[in-house]
Amino acid sequence: MAKQARNAKYTSLLTNHREDARSSWKRLVAAPVSSLMTVTVIAIALLLPSFLMVLNANLEAVVDSFRQSARITLYLESGVSVESAAEVSNNLLQRDDIVQAEYISQQQALADFSRRSGLDSLLGQFSENPLPAAIVLTPASTNLALVSSLAEELSALPEVDQVQLDADWIRRADALATALTILARGLGAIFLLGVCFIIGNTIKLGVEHRRDEIRVIKLVGGSHSFIARPFLYTGFYLGGLGGITALLLLLALLAAVQGPVAAFAGSDNFQRPGLAALLLLILGGALAGWLSALLASWHHIRQIDP
Amino acid sequence: MIAFDRVSKRYATGQTALTNISFELQKGELAFLTGHSGAGKSTLLKLILAMEPISGGRLQINGRDMKSLKARQIPEHRQHIGTVFQDHQLLMDRSVADNIALPLRVSAYGEQEIRRRVRAALDKVGLLSKEKLNPARLSGGEQQRVGIARAIVNRPRIILADEPTGNLDPALSAEIMELFRQFRQIGVCLLIASHDASLIGSLGERVLTLDHGRLVNDSGASSHG
Ligand SMILES: Nc1ncnc2c1ncn2[C@@H]1O[C@H](COP(=O)(O)OP(=O)(O)OP(=O)(O)O)[C@@H](O)[C@H]1O
Ligand SMILES: [Mg+2]
Repeated sequence: MAKQARNAKYTSLLTNHREDARSSWKRLVAAPVSSLMTVTVIAIALLLPSFLMVLNANLEAVVDSFRQSARITLYLESGVSVESAAEVSNNLLQRDDIVQAEYISQQQALADFSRRSGLDSLLGQFSENPLPAAIVLTPASTNLALVSSLAEELSALPEVDQVQLDADWIRRADALATALTILARGLGAIFLLGVCFIIGNTIKLGVEHRRDEIRVIKLVGGSHSFIARPFLYTGFYLGGLGGITALLLLLALLAAVQGPVAAFAGSDNFQRPGLAALLLLILGGALAGWLSALLASWHHIRQIDP
Repeated sequence: MIAFDRVSKRYATGQTALTNISFELQKGELAFLTGHSGAGKSTLLKLILAMEPISGGRLQINGRDMKSLKARQIPEHRQHIGTVFQDHQLLMDRSVADNIALPLRVSAYGEQEIRRRVRAALDKVGLLSKEKLNPARLSGGEQQRVGIARAIVNRPRIILADEPTGNLDPALSAEIMELFRQFRQIGVCLLIASHDASLIGSLGERVLTLDHGRLVNDSGASSHG
């Protein structure tokens, strides 16, 4: 008997939830203009940081290509023969921390220089080739400290005259990536806070609008959670709808900038946000809506005295 | 069910509304609460409903000390009390039936049970035909009866009424008082505030008289020690 009564209680609690979900939805639809405006503002607030995140992911690819452009150039002593240079180069290639080693002979260096500079006539004035032979290494690591210590280590080789580390790009790339991440996260946090305020304010107006009803419900013994439930649904809907709208706007914007961004990134695989990230946008919006409704209703419903 | 023991109430404004009130009301008992305007009748009912905290003394409702009642226990406490308010407190944005169903909804009754009980309560107050109307379209007396239906629909152990016949004609007032007297037979405890002295006098029930916040007369005090 007791179990049956409890079951009936759960069933009716479910029915109540369904009823609240439905009536909250109807209330939103009943005021389409203001609901639409709220949803749009929420969508914009969610859109900006998510757009930055996508942009960031694409710039990461550019940044990575910058990183891989780090080179260590070993200028060889003038007496080193082509054969021993090739041996040094082969030995270096055996190492795990070096992915590529390219030997550049004196002639090649000269040819490259004249092709790039167009200063043939100047070089013609030298009786001997002034450029040293070199081995250009591509390090495996993109970590600045590792690459530097590698360069340091190689400078001790007897065949090596001078080492030039061309890693400035790693430094810049790291700084750029850090800046972008901070920007996206910071803006994300600020705008999410904005979403919470918008929804909190909407809930506050809703509570005020239904003041009489809430007072009577309190008088007949309605608990706080009973009173708050429809508002929680409202927050959930607003946040979720804002997320969906942001998603649609994001996809439209991405379709528009896809070409140029891919061209800039120098690759034709434009990084689209994954399905999980898109779902997160909707769920995150809904969750933020629900949470801010929870806080706002807790605060404002408490203020109503029967 | 209701036990006042030297209870006093002083509002935050410094206004003393009740002083040293002691009386008990048992299961199945009915008492009228009377006194001049401002004597403290509404205040006394508010203490029972935990709408206001008591300032001194001891108040027990359904065997529970009101001082120990925590804020989150108040809703459950009120679910056992049916209240008819001086200004009926009906919601004009929904039907008569939905107004009466409110105490059942907050207690999470099933929809079928709600419909059954709402109709039973409406039948009791003679408004079965007005079930679907908006309360704004009812007369003052009918609105008052909707308020009564809402107070009884949850089958509470205690019924409180604040001027339930305030704006009704004598015949209707007598009818409503008769209705309240019937509930006593099913073990409900009733406390009805009213300053309709002639009506109260004619019923021969227990009368508690307040004067400037003091209980100056309890016609049933001797029989209830
Ligand atoms: N919320 C309040 N804050 C301060 N004082 C109050 C408050 N409510 C009532 N009072 C005061 O307490 C006293 C008792 O008021 P109460 O409303 O209980 O009287 P009453 O007997 O119900 O009067 P009436 O017959 O006019 O309804 C009055 O002096 C009133 O001014
Ligand atoms: Mg009063």
